[in-house]
Amino acid sequence: METTGGSSESPPDPKKGKSKTPRKAKESVLKQKSPAEFFAENKHIAGFDNPGKCLYTTVRELVENSLDSAESISELPVVEVTIEEIGKSKYNSMIGLVDRERVDEALYDDYETAKAREKRLSKQARAQEIQTKNASLGKKVKEPPVSKGMKGRAEASFYKVTCKDNGRGMPHDDIPNMFGRVLSGTKYGLKQTRGKFGLGAKMALIWSKMSTGLPIEILSSMKGQNYVSFCRLDIDIHRNIPHIHVHEKRDSKVRWHGAEIQVVIEGNWTTYRSKILHYMRQIAVITPYAQFLFKFVSDVPEYVSLSLPKTITDAHNCLHLFGFYLPCCFLCRKNVTIRFARRTDVMPPVPLETKHHPSSVDLLLIKRLITETSKQNLLQFLQHEFVNIPKSYAERLIGEMGPEFSPKMAAKSLTSQQIVRIHQLFRQAKFDDPSGDCLSPAGEYNLRLGIIKELHPDIVATYSGSAQVFEGHPFIVEAGVSVGGKDVKHGLNIFRFANRIPLLFEQGADVVTRTALKRINWSSYKINHTQDKIGVFVSVVSTKIPFKGTGKEYIGDDISEIATAVKSAIQQCCIQLKSKIMKKMQAREQQERKRNLNRYIPDATGAVYDVLKDMAQSHVSKKKRYDDEDAELLKKVSSRLITKETLREKLAQHVEQVDYEMALEYATQSGVSEEPREAMYIQSLEAENKFIDLHSPIFVFRLFQ
Amino acid sequence: MDDKKKKRRRPDPSSDEETRLPFKNRLKPDSVILESLRDLLNTSSSSASTSKTLTLADLALASTCREVNELSLPSVESAIESLILKIARSILDGHGFSFDVPSRSAANQLYVPELDRIVLKDKTSLRPYANISTVRKSTITTRILQLIHQLCAKSIHVTKRDLFYTDVKLFQDQTQSDSVLDDVSCMLGCTRSSLNVIAAEKGVVVGRLIFSDNGDMIDCTKMGMGGKAIPPNIDRVGDMQSDALFILLVEKDAAYIRLAEDRFYNRFPCIIVTAKGQPDVATRLFLRKMKMELKLPVLALVDSDPYGLKILSVYGCGSKNMSYDSANLTTPDIKWLGIRPSDLDKYKIPEQCRLPMTEQDIKTGKDLLEEDFVKKNPGWVEELTLMVKTKQKAEIQALSTFGFQYLSEVYLPLKLQQRDWL
Repeated sequence: METTGGSSESPPDPKKGKSKTPRKAKESVLKQKSPAEFFAENKHIAGFDNPGKCLYTTVRELVENSLDSAESISELPVVEVTIEEIGKSKYNSMIGLVDRERVDEALYDDYETAKAREKRLSKQARAQEIQTKNASLGKKVKEPPVSKGMKGRAEASFYKVTCKDNGRGMPHDDIPNMFGRVLSGTKYGLKQTRGKFGLGAKMALIWSKMSTGLPIEILSSMKGQNYVSFCRLDIDIHRNIPHIHVHEKRDSKVRWHGAEIQVVIEGNWTTYRSKILHYMRQIAVITPYAQFLFKFVSDVPEYVSLSLPKTITDAHNCLHLFGFYLPCCFLCRKNVTIRFARRTDVMPPVPLETKHHPSSVDLLLIKRLITETSKQNLLQFLQHEFVNIPKSYAERLIGEMGPEFSPKMAAKSLTSQQIVRIHQLFRQAKFDDPSGDCLSPAGEYNLRLGIIKELHPDIVATYSGSAQVFEGHPFIVEAGVSVGGKDVKHGLNIFRFANRIPLLFEQGADVVTRTALKRINWSSYKINHTQDKIGVFVSVVSTKIPFKGTGKEYIGDDISEIATAVKSAIQQCCIQLKSKIMKKMQAREQQERKRNLNRYIPDATGAVYDVLKDMAQSHVSKKKRYDDEDAELLKKVSSRLITKETLREKLAQHVEQVDYEMALEYATQSGVSEEPREAMYIQSLEAENKFIDLHSPIFVFRLFQ
Repeated sequence: MDDKKKKRRRPDPSSDEETRLPFKNRLKPDSVILESLRDLLNTSSSSASTSKTLTLADLALASTCREVNELSLPSVESAIESLILKIARSILDGHGFSFDVPSRSAANQLYVPELDRIVLKDKTSLRPYANISTVRKSTITTRILQLIHQLCAKSIHVTKRDLFYTDVKLFQDQTQSDSVLDDVSCMLGCTRSSLNVIAAEKGVVVGRLIFSDNGDMIDCTKMGMGGKAIPPNIDRVGDMQSDALFILLVEKDAAYIRLAEDRFYNRFPCIIVTAKGQPDVATRLFLRKMKMELKLPVLALVDSDPYGLKILSVYGCGSKNMSYDSANLTTPDIKWLGIRPSDLDKYKIPEQCRLPMTEQDIKTGKDLLEEDFVKKNPGWVEELTLMVKTKQKAEIQALSTFGFQYLSEVYLPLKLQQRDWL
């Protein structure tokens, strides 16, 4: 697996080297690199570290593009993802290569020497032993994985990833550039989006070119188009331009809008299976208004896994069994079909594009805004190209800049020095914080639904913070905390979302993990953070998420604004939970009170009786004198009129009476009030949209037709 | 033999010696130091003889306070019996039963400056059986009462651990039985030792002291290096004799061993006591008995951190947990000899041997500044303020940077010579 990962990176390099050096070497050693080349060489920056991660990131980028696309036209997203495993011979036939038998076996890396064979066999025997041992212990474990010789180790596995959505689709003519040119995109504005750099789909294409050499296929149709655009293209990495194989309009039989993208890449399903499934599960949590269908189609004949009982195939996981993945284990590669049903039709509003906040701009950005602006003079430029600079404030700012500035001067005539002055003032002057209106948080409702849907917790609380600011970018933190549920681990289960995409890697350093583990005193909310099944969901949305590291994988713990907001959001949820937990504990106490009170009766009465008996004895033997009243009692003890049983019965009666009184009191106090009922969403059978939504940050206007 | 050792240790006081053991040259001959100690002894014993020890009854306090007395076995027995009879009658009448237990919470404590110790106020809390939150405790209380009744009848002593093991299933862990034991002694109005329950030996004593333990005469100068374990039942200790000039109270075992091995008590006649950390009841009783009978001044050597001072306060004013018996457990007028925060700079303790105080330390330090027993001594307030300000602490072992014997050879003699105690 790793050898192929390494070797797959090298092919573009020598090729490029050969084609370039003979021509250019004499002129200069200076070379230019296209963005595509850069990303091909540094694909880990975009999350394409190894074949397994590449498969994961490809799925992720395609799904996120689909969601963005559907949301941009206020359509409830329907996303279908299929990963199809492609066997070697099928792959060869796809690229038109004839299968060749090995002649010189010892030439190959995976050639098994006699010694290695011995080792492997003994290992297999050991594994088998464990299996039988487990089986004899009555553990429900599966039969030994069928290893198909030595297939797999150095052999790459190929997958066809298909992602189909009901989004906006793409204009016919733009398709080549949208896929075949790195760093070109539609999401560059200052706006809360999932994707940001116009990299995702292109990286998938670059990876497919690097690993399989097969082109990407795009089917797309927009609303109102009576045709479907079909495009098959790959990318000229050296020049960063699309290389089009086919680009045509096809007749459309069904009314469909959206895009379907198909790419064949090298990957590793067995090691990244759980990550991909986790990703799907979590994206379903944060987007409950979307419907996902995820399929994995294995090239292992279906009947092999079907012949096994379902319990075995479901519970199977090579990693748990052996501590490593057997790439050849067919159980790890069984077909998977998961449907994540839609739970609501309430969609968060589309995030609005906003203007820059003066405190967040740098020199370059100011220069760019000046060249791009349509405003004539400085006053208008300040007023209209930034948020939170009203006219009067702009005038004051210009006055402060110095005598060489005037409101009427042309914005484009500003010298570099003058721009530096503006920048300085922006840094120092006080501006109102940007509002969170341009953001589109998932919403407490959606978060709650997602949690309930995926975890089925006993109780859940959600909280949505108000907008706050970090370096001129507004952000909103929302949190949900759940307790209990099925398929939930004991202890803290942390789910992180940034701009409504799940973050799965680098969990340890993330601000949410750190906060939940270190800064929340769970016990003060009556939550046991090692025993209870706790789900912590935190979603951060912002026009700019301050990701740490290269990939979009975690938010650093060093930003105190975000850390405080996360902490208070989680605490707010915990406060809500606490009262519920207290109520539950009270109710449980009610049920268990009598049992607990009765439990100690033998101990208490036994101790009292023992003392009485001792006293009675010394009374009889006249060692000690007692008062008349006491003497009478002791006489009864020695004549066995009062025994341990008498005491026990009397105390039990008392407990009974107290318990009855307390139960009555509890009932009158708590009354018959029940938990407020929650509205349930039932998906409409005919999901036909007969309305138009007009979105504004504050409300949604729905026009029924 | 002792003299020989000394000669070997310092053949000639060269300048090299000075860099290694700073301040050594400031030491005057032992005879001068002894003179200053004799002064201390005279002033302390004269003050002790003039002022009669106050008791709670002497003061007309606004709030009534609870104090316990040493009770004889039969009276403990009859106290338990009458309590049990009351309970039995209550059960038979169908009322269940409940205990009226004096509260030992912080809110129920009172520092009495005249006595210089903490006493317990008279608040009590009801511990009914038929209540989910107190059912366990009241059951444990009955069980402990019964066990102590047995002890009284047989007139034997057991340790707290023994007591716990008689019914592990009910008590679950020893802290529970221990705390109920304190409740019981408080409820019966007797000291814990009157219940015939003792704690395992923890404290040790070495030095110029002779006393009788259960009839055997013990000479603490002839107890080897480890010293004599302080006997848990103080009532069997008597006939204390000593030619010591002072009692040296040491917080830690390590410093104690150093002093014991160097036979510090032979150079400066003294009695060295340690409880190895937080003092137990036996050590506190023993210290008080020594102080009262021998009329010696007590000097304390503790770490320069808030906990050192806290330990000092437990010896001096009593712990909150056992404030009901503070009259018997506290030793008045303990002098803080070292290591004090001001010593860190005075003795040029290198930076690497000082530790930064943690948040928790600083908080404890600030809390201590609010405590009455600190406030009454302006010198202590000054030292503690310095500690909180510099945010540095140091253990007694920090002195070992100048050599393991710096403590016994230089630091303590110099401190004594300068009468540097608060």
